[in-house]
Amino acid sequence: MAEVEATNQTLLVVGGGMSGITAALEAAEAGYDVILIEKNPYLGGRVTQLYQYFPKLCPPNCGLEINFRRMKLNPRIRFFTLAEVEKISGEEGNYNVTVKLNPRFITEKCTCCGKCSDVCDTEIDNPFNFGMDKIKAVYLPHEFAFPMRYVMDPSIVGTDEAKKCKDACKYDAIDLDMKATTFDLNVGAIVWACGWTPYDASKIEYYGFGRYKNVITNMMMERLASPNGPTAGKILRPSDGKEVKNVAFIQCAGSRDQNYLPYCSGVCCLASMKQSTYLRDQYPDCNITIFFIDIRALDRLEDFYTKVKEDEKVTFIKSKIASITEDEATGDLLLEGENTNTGERIQMTFDMVVLATGMVPNSLDLESAPSVSKDEYGFMTLDPNNTGIYGAGCVKRPTDVASSVQDATGAALRAIQSVTRR
Amino acid sequence: METNTSYDPSFAREVFENVDSGEEIKMCMQCGMCAASCPLREHMDYPPRQIFSMIRAGKRDMVLNANSIMMCTSCYTCQVRCPRGIPVIDVMHGLAHYAISKGILTRKDTAVFGREFWQQIYKTGRIDEKDLSRRYFFADGIITGIKKSLQMARMGIIMLLHGRMKILPEKKIKGIKSLRSMLDKAMQTGKGGSEV
Amino acid sequence: MEKKAALYICTGCGIGDALDIDSLKELATDDLGVPICKDHPFLCGAEGVDLIKKDIQDEGVNTIIIAGCSGRVNYDVFNFGPDKIVERINLREQVAWCQPPKEEDTQMLAEDYLRMGCSKANDTEPLEPYIAEEEYSKDILIVGGGVAGMTAALEIAKAGRKAILVEKEDKLGGFLGKMKKLITMPYKDLSDTGAEDLIKEVNENDNIKVYTSATVAKISGSPGLFTAEISADGNSVQERVGSVIQATGWTPYDASKLNLGYGKIKDVITNVEMEEMAAKGKITRPSDGKEVKNVLFVQCAGSRDPEHLPYCSSYCCLASLKQAAYVKEQNPEAVNYIVYKDMRTVGQAEDFYRKAQEDGDVFIRGSIVNINENGGKLSVETDDELLGERVNIEEIDLVVLAVGMVPTSQPDQIPRIQAPEGTEGADEEGMIEVMPDSGFFAKSALNLEYRQGPELPTLKYGFPDSHFICFPYETRRTGIYTAGCVRRPMEVVKAKEDAAGAAMKAIQCCEASSQGVALHPRAGDISYPEFNMQRCTQCKRCTEECPFGAINEDEKGNPLPNPTRCRRCGVCMGACPERIISFKNYSVGMIGNMIKAIEVPEEDEEKPRVIAFVCENDAYPAIDMAAIKRMQWSPYVRFIPVRCLGSINLVWVADAMSKGIDGLLFLGCRHGDDYQCHFIKGSELAETRLGKVSETLDRLALEAERVKFLEIGITDYNRIPTIINEFMETIDELGPNPYKGW
Repeated sequence: MAEVEATNQTLLVVGGGMSGITAALEAAEAGYDVILIEKNPYLGGRVTQLYQYFPKLCPPNCGLEINFRRMKLNPRIRFFTLAEVEKISGEEGNYNVTVKLNPRFITEKCTCCGKCSDVCDTEIDNPFNFGMDKIKAVYLPHEFAFPMRYVMDPSIVGTDEAKKCKDACKYDAIDLDMKATTFDLNVGAIVWACGWTPYDASKIEYYGFGRYKNVITNMMMERLASPNGPTAGKILRPSDGKEVKNVAFIQCAGSRDQNYLPYCSGVCCLASMKQSTYLRDQYPDCNITIFFIDIRALDRLEDFYTKVKEDEKVTFIKSKIASITEDEATGDLLLEGENTNTGERIQMTFDMVVLATGMVPNSLDLESAPSVSKDEYGFMTLDPNNTGIYGAGCVKRPTDVASSVQDATGAALRAIQSVTRR
Repeated sequence: METNTSYDPSFAREVFENVDSGEEIKMCMQCGMCAASCPLREHMDYPPRQIFSMIRAGKRDMVLNANSIMMCTSCYTCQVRCPRGIPVIDVMHGLAHYAISKGILTRKDTAVFGREFWQQIYKTGRIDEKDLSRRYFFADGIITGIKKSLQMARMGIIMLLHGRMKILPEKKIKGIKSLRSMLDKAMQTGKGGSEV
Repeated sequence: MEKKAALYICTGCGIGDALDIDSLKELATDDLGVPICKDHPFLCGAEGVDLIKKDIQDEGVNTIIIAGCSGRVNYDVFNFGPDKIVERINLREQVAWCQPPKEEDTQMLAEDYLRMGCSKANDTEPLEPYIAEEEYSKDILIVGGGVAGMTAALEIAKAGRKAILVEKEDKLGGFLGKMKKLITMPYKDLSDTGAEDLIKEVNENDNIKVYTSATVAKISGSPGLFTAEISADGNSVQERVGSVIQATGWTPYDASKLNLGYGKIKDVITNVEMEEMAAKGKITRPSDGKEVKNVLFVQCAGSRDPEHLPYCSSYCCLASLKQAAYVKEQNPEAVNYIVYKDMRTVGQAEDFYRKAQEDGDVFIRGSIVNINENGGKLSVETDDELLGERVNIEEIDLVVLAVGMVPTSQPDQIPRIQAPEGTEGADEEGMIEVMPDSGFFAKSALNLEYRQGPELPTLKYGFPDSHFICFPYETRRTGIYTAGCVRRPMEVVKAKEDAAGAAMKAIQCCEASSQGVALHPRAGDISYPEFNMQRCTQCKRCTEECPFGAINEDEKGNPLPNPTRCRRCGVCMGACPERIISFKNYSVGMIGNMIKAIEVPEEDEEKPRVIAFVCENDAYPAIDMAAIKRMQWSPYVRFIPVRCLGSINLVWVADAMSKGIDGLLFLGCRHGDDYQCHFIKGSELAETRLGKVSETLDRLALEAERVKFLEIGITDYNRIPTIINEFMETIDELGPNPYKGW
């Protein structure tokens, strides 16, 4: 790997999701040099997996497309995919960062013609769709992928399969000898925007996620509804591929619960309401029940709640569901709880259950990194005495896309201030 | 909504001060998890969540006379699952204890069973199923005792056939002394046993 | 610039297998007169790029036409510097990947794209940025000296720039200055507001000029070149600024409109009054001055209520929990009742809800029925949802109404303006109510000297918000950003972050404007519209339709463009009936020539021709995606990307129809309340314009069904084949356009 040119006036943005992209672009468009690194083989992060945003029900790719275009036109941004921070040392105005580049096995020569994938027989679980379908072991992560380039799964490297793919490439774009490399950067400030991971729903034992096929998470629902998802956008039951008629959403699945995630992730109520519109669009007769503790549709997003409430096919019940049992024969799910408004016992059967799981901030624990303060849940906190590394988006608090963008724009300015001070 | 009751914070204060873990109910956010986790939910007049809500509203008589506070079998499901970490079982037992101490015996038989269970464990270190049920059935006199015994006769035979109940009396366990000192300690903390 | 064009056809990625490349080259050299024409099996590879570079160097090629993959990819590979014109012809996605190979129709499609691309390259002029003669200012004006305004000023100053802060009160601080304590990250306990330190820091910062007791009397000009007239203490001062942040904040909802005893019962107060009282000292009853013991908080007082404020103000739950803590601090024996609809302590703020529960605050989910005064004490009748009963909460000393935030931009009454004569809905004096999304709606704050109104257009509920999830700071006026609660209700910590973000955008605006490059969403674009004023008929359509209020008017109605206010969408170009507005690389004539370049087969060949004008932001990528998925559709459709569908000019319909094109499709973004158009109104304007196209069609005696507008999102690629094929069926039914061969 050739040396990447950077100075103490350069900003490093770690994480190429919506927050990272925003921070990088905003700073670059104000005239600062930015290096953006992303661990996935594509930019866009979590939002690339979403079908629509609330409350406008618009596709995330629309905004990403503009942002990628801004990036294409701006020579001040350089970005690296499959890249991770390995080490950070130094202080505000003068950080030394070691970046590790994982091998893609596909070079810049890739034209995306798809011939390698055509000849490849090995299939792997598709990480983009949470393993709900299979994908060829040499693949384009998704059709809006940016950069638009294939990637080879390391599992087939060294096999005849990989050689077959290599031989199929007319453009000599497959390099099976590619190794992980590292490079060092000198930068003036860092924006830490490495996002979040969905809470592991299988930890909530009484909901049976992982054991019952028709219990899915809210992120899986996004993939099921997406035209580029495992079912080409048709929402079908995982167990038997049947259409759904009766779906439950369990809010605070793990959230606001000191046994799991004590905080509230702030977006799940709206996400479930949004997903109820996906179902209603596809199945005019589908009944939807949303089980909640408090509905948290902040500020003007209340309008969205009002809109969804008006739908007579959507019922809101104040209850924390206590257990799910599967009918093995049908795959249907029995939910039990207490309707706390009426005091009545709930025993309701559904075709499919969506667990509204929360956000876990991605860790920023790094060997020999300058200390960054965080709260007991792992979210980065403000430390006025420790400037130079700034959090953006969901590493600071669980938040929706608009707020992440807001936050990242502010973080970009703070990073600029850091290099201005020098 | 017709009834007009008045909120009365004095009962909540009474509970906080007198009931074991009573103060913890402040943390309840009325999610209903406890109600739905309880294996005895069908038999309870008010699930724990409602009990907590009634304490807050000051419904003293309803709470202390509720059968549910006497019904808890300590299965711990609600307590383990409570998102706010409320020791639901301690509170329910605490309330039962408090109700009994105030002379309210909603479910006398539960209390009797508890007493007999405790005493037998104390004596032999194990439960003699036939002795326990005999004492429990006959606590209210011989006529009721016979009636209750007959009701449960079939169950008794099945237990005998499956070796779940022995014909001969149970023997004391080894180390009964150590067990007793443990139980004494538990008594001292005020958390164990049901005294009538 | 003397143009020297060269065409490079890439034969890779299946293009060479699908098309007869030699005949394409022949077409280019013989018919289109392109002096250099080459093909290469892997044009984006090093060797291919060298081939082009060599021609640039040796042959003086400066106009490079690349027929290969979509312009969405390899943008960096085929970038030969700003002085070179690069035109991309999409033979891969939109021909080779979506049409059967080696068919006559596929070949004809590629030929047409070649003709269109070469025509466009021929009409494109090299770009030069717009630089005004006046000096650019990089200072930033901030209106409103509350927490958002002060933070924005400081953030700007810390980035080494100058801020001018205008506050209408005699002191900075806004609501923050009136608070006792703050509940903020990490939401464990109350903290100091920090207001005094913030005010001090702002006042002492050399990069910040503060005007108190001041208002903005007028802002004229455009980004980079604004002149603000500030009235401060009766004097008028002029400041030149590059961009503006409006952080005028909020006002509490008028509690006397609620049926909760406010104004009638002395001991019913608002959360704002509670805060001010706590900040001054003891919390007492207004009726008798006695210290309070039992306090009842009414959440959502007027909020989430269609009769009052339909939205949630998002700060009130935390504010009441904080104030309940004041009450407990003053008297640990006190009881706080909190009557709520939903507790909304989002994120880590859930911790403070737990803390309030630990403190013994009593939470009642329900709604207030009645508040009564009896012998000096209050009793509150409440429907307790979870108890399932109507209860009476007695012995209350003080009721606090948690009222919501109304943006300062929200006018008390809908303003009326003089309407043009004969306007429908005007009153006797010719006055008419203004629309919320016009610049005339909001309360006075900026006083812009804009033809389209003095303030930022608002959306619902009076918030001057962009309604863009991905671009929250954008307003409908370029270079003017909003921050804090004027934009949407928010708590202090968020207002601070918001202010930093707005400051970032304002700084960026100053930079971009001074370099003559466009701001979002065409960030970096240096093209700009030029007006050929000789042919202007003063119809005012450009000034009326510009979604960003970029164009002023002189007294005669001539447009006065402000290039730094312009977002380069081309809506004005589409609006102009005289076709006098053009960009150097995008004009009515240029697209008209592309239309004319399409070869229309004779009627008896039974090969209809359809042109689809597609939004380059969403519809065009969707078509690429459909092709990547190897979907197929009619080979008779030619796509022409447009900057925004709002830039379509009706003359194109006439151009196309009179040439014998059988049908026209217009694919644009969703409009309406949840619009997705990046230029806010582009697709809506396009549809309105097309609504009037029937006149043109009538004149030509053609059926209205030949022109169709459709909303397409970027992820609607699955629909592309159906949309096209269905339209082709319509065209088949209508039969060929009789103008063929004219």
